Amino acid sequence: MIVVERVSRVFDGKAEPIVALDGIDLEVGEHEFVAVIGRSGCGKSTLLRIVAGLLAPTAGRVLVAGEPVTRPRRDVAVMFQRPALLPWRSVLGNVLLPVEVHGLDRQKHIARAHELLELVGLAGFAARLPHELSGGMQQRVSLCRSLIQNPAVMLMDEPFSALDALTRTELSAELQRIWWEHPRTVVFVTHSVEEAVVLADRVAVLTPRPGRLHELVEVDIPRPRTAHTARVAAVSGALHELLTGE
Amino acid sequence: MRTRVANIVLPVLGLLAVLALWWLATIVFAIEEFLLPSPGDVLAAFGEYPGYLLEQTWVTLLETVQGFGLSIVVGIPIALLIVTSPILERTIYPLLLALNAVPKIAIAPILVVWLGFGPAPKVLLVFLVCFFPVVISTASGMKSTPAELVELMRSLDCTRRQEFFKLRFQYALPQIFVGLKTAVSLAVIGAVIAEFVGASAGLGFVIVSSGSSADTALAFAAMGLLGVMSIVLFYGLAYLERRLLPWAEEHR
Repeated sequence: MIVVERVSRVFDGKAEPIVALDGIDLEVGEHEFVAVIGRSGCGKSTLLRIVAGLLAPTAGRVLVAGEPVTRPRRDVAVMFQRPALLPWRSVLGNVLLPVEVHGLDRQKHIARAHELLELVGLAGFAARLPHELSGGMQQRVSLCRSLIQNPAVMLMDEPFSALDALTRTELSAELQRIWWEHPRTVVFVTHSVEEAVVLADRVAVLTPRPGRLHELVEVDIPRPRTAHTARVAAVSGALHELLTGE
Repeated sequence: MRTRVANIVLPVLGLLAVLALWWLATIVFAIEEFLLPSPGDVLAAFGEYPGYLLEQTWVTLLETVQGFGLSIVVGIPIALLIVTSPILERTIYPLLLALNAVPKIAIAPILVVWLGFGPAPKVLLVFLVCFFPVVISTASGMKSTPAELVELMRSLDCTRRQEFFKLRFQYALPQIFVGLKTAVSLAVIGAVIAEFVGASAGLGFVIVSSGSSADTALAFAAMGLLGVMSIVLFYGLAYLERRLLPWAEEHR
């Protein structure tokens, strides 16, 4: 579904150019859930933005569904670290934003929007404004917004990292359930090793300066998974070692 | 509820206190009426020509609102152009700054020479006074749109138009209202200045002509009406803002 071919990205630094990504190769199959982990500054967000078509690579290319990515695609949804809700739009209006931007019939998607809100436990909040919601609820709205058009690919950039630990675990469990019921291709960037192990089929470990793909680890644990189980802890431990033992 | 009552009671109390002090001063120091009329004299002057004064108020109000409206209709598109194109921004901005730096009082007589004694030069001067705050507030509001929201819109493969109208313009609205409120208080001043220079109607005209006949009480009545007009326009905008942008107060 997604093919990343020898992708490099260089940013202009103050003194010398900064190599954020250096020759990344990665393939993500259809309906596969791949997590990308690494220390901050390893270029994992940069990689995601390149796959999303928000940033051009300096070298190499990305294919989604067999086509080179040159700009954001409509069958690819991006979810960011912060909810990025439009403050003047109601919850429902925010969920329907992609529908409007893509010029589709708003009416036809309203039922689906309510379904999604119910799915994440926000039934009855459709008419609220974002500022009336907690951070966790806002991020749930953001999740609904990225699901409204049934995207083939979801790109998630540390979507839960701004939340408190409890809400974070909760949302991670919800994402696992939603993905399990309707599998789709997901690339999930995170700096939490446990989160990656709980959610992903495979975990890509990036190392910083320059950002390189250090290791690709298969997570062979049956779902549903929860953190704090022996098997998750074992894989997490191994990944921790990969991250720290350079 | 209590704060709402206080919001009305406190300004009224302040006004009454000032009026009382003013009245007291005219009595205690026995000030001549043509120097400083007492509030009673001013009220009497208004009572003498209520129809005439309200007519002149209407003239000034119309000039003010037309010039203000024109500044919105012209200013917001120009701000949009400035935000869209950095080249245009660098071309237009210095000109706008220069235009704004010219004292409007200096332009007023020239406008009369160009456009005559009718309402046109007044409307134009009001426009010139309002234009700058409208453009600046709109442009800076649209530019201050958070990067995360812009990136979200881009990730949806939006058009430039959508980025501006679905996002940047809406995001800028609270800041645009700040500019509008600044502009509307300047607008009344602009209209009066234009009327000082050459007019046959309007409250500015009333002030000038009553000054020359030493009818100070009438001039004060006209000034009072100008004050009321300013307050009504300002709070009208503030009310509109609260109705249109219920999200703004909480969000910022």
